[in-house]
Amino acid sequence: MTVALARRLGSMELLIATLVVFALTGELIRGLVVGSPDLSTAATIFCGVFVQAVPFLVLGVLVSGLVAVFVTPERLARWLPRRTGVAVVAAGLGGAALPGCECGSVPVARRLFGEGASGAAALTFLLSAPAINPVVLVATAVAFPGQPGMVVARASASLSTAVVMGLAWSRWGRLDWVTRRLPRSHDADASRWTVFTEAARHDFLQAAPYLVLGAAAAAALHVLVPAWVFEHLAGNLALGILVMALLAVVLALCSEADAFVAASLTMLPLLPRLVFLVVGPAVDVKLFAMQAGSFGRAFAVRFAPATFVVATLTAAGVGYVVLGGAG
Amino acid sequence: MTRETENVLLLLVGVAIGMIGVAGSYTRYVKPALLPWLLLAAAVLIALALACIVRDVRRGPPVADSGEPGHRHRRGMAWLLVVPVAALVFVVPPALAPRAAAPSSIAVSTEALRRPYPPLPDEPAPVVRLPEVLRRAANDVAGTLNGRTITINGFAMRDGDRVDLARVVIICCAADAQLARIHLAGPAAADLADGAWIRVRGRVVPRPADGNGLAIPTFTVADVQPIPAPANTYDY
Repeated sequence: MTVALARRLGSMELLIATLVVFALTGELIRGLVVGSPDLSTAATIFCGVFVQAVPFLVLGVLVSGLVAVFVTPERLARWLPRRTGVAVVAAGLGGAALPGCECGSVPVARRLFGEGASGAAALTFLLSAPAINPVVLVATAVAFPGQPGMVVARASASLSTAVVMGLAWSRWGRLDWVTRRLPRSHDADASRWTVFTEAARHDFLQAAPYLVLGAAAAAALHVLVPAWVFEHLAGNLALGILVMALLAVVLALCSEADAFVAASLTMLPLLPRLVFLVVGPAVDVKLFAMQAGSFGRAFAVRFAPATFVVATLTAAGVGYVVLGGAG
Repeated sequence: MTRETENVLLLLVGVAIGMIGVAGSYTRYVKPALLPWLLLAAAVLIALALACIVRDVRRGPPVADSGEPGHRHRRGMAWLLVVPVAALVFVVPPALAPRAAAPSSIAVSTEALRRPYPPLPDEPAPVVRLPEVLRRAANDVAGTLNGRTITINGFAMRDGDRVDLARVVIICCAADAQLARIHLAGPAAADLADGAWIRVRGRVVPRPADGNGLAIPTFTVADVQPIPAPANTYDY
């Protein structure tokens, strides 16, 4: 009905009407939200996740705008090493150059994504950029003082996850899963400024609504997942690993903050906490929503679960070697 | 949704982020250090929206956006951006309530963290932030809290017949909030109302030599003074 109404009224009139309604009922909604503890927690966490992510998303769409101007698929193919394996490793290490949270790397990876080696390299970049950049590694070192093994394990497990997923894509991935197309500019002589602003505008509008969905999902799960989950895991290592991996998915923390949260869960051994740090930046509810928005649902429902399994196993394996079995 | 409406929404998201930055309500959701980045992001979004609006008015919308089948009907997703705009501008959810923060101990104590801390200011009862008190109580090998009377600000939190002094601590944003707390002991603390903002003066009970660093320390209260709730209720 809303759609039919929108067609008759025009979307601008509908937007203005919606805003007027919110302006008039804002106090009323505020009263409802404040009156219910769960609702007010969820609303505050929703705003927290969204506001926190916006600067990183803006940085991401600015970079993706620059990519649209300067990195044509032909140029990228020329820059990348010819062999897929080498190209994927190079892209993984290249991820260290984009300091920021995971929200920013989705639009950039979508711009870089193409056929063949560049597709695998773009996905490797997508997974490695939020996890192994200097800001995140320094935060991890600060959160786990006296345990340099944690930084080493996090960087190598995240990089391995990204490389494995890139290679897996080049082996089994299919381009027709990626249903979202970027608009082609028919205007061959458009100025660089036009190409840049159009790309940044498109990518923000493509990714931000899914950030809203993801932030809402994270806020709901925060309220619904009971706090005792954290406290009853110390005994069983395998269960601890699985639950921490799932928690990383549902909490959707920023990759610059997750180390501090993991550090505070002192009742758990180091290994499950490492899994939390490796899975979080690679796959969480917010990222899943954004991947569905930028690449397409058929892609996201295959890529995200596969990443979850690979990240969990890699982190457990690397953690076992670097930190020792008991952590 | 038409291209013009999308541009307006882009503008509104920028304005909403800018507004919470200028009005100060952003401290309910994220740490204060993010402010310059929020203002920068708001400026970029507003500039981007204005650049697109001005270009459309001058030259008409670009052809690239109109002809693609399958691209149009999904654009309804952009309506979701109304949600954060309405939440941040009109509803403005409150700062997290203490019960909503994860009930974990702030002082991350492992033997690796134990080190001598610098001495407290040389005053009769220096004000020390609660997270700092907890870190020193758990990890300080120089014993800078021993025998010192200090002042801490926070809110009272009743838990059964126990009273704690607490602060909600955030690292990055409200999603990672944790509760820092210290048990209050002494007659002055007995009849505090739950949630009341107070300034307490007293001493931290030293941790026993073989004690567990994870245990919540106790504070012997000499006197309590009510204070107005701070504008920003979080600590960092």
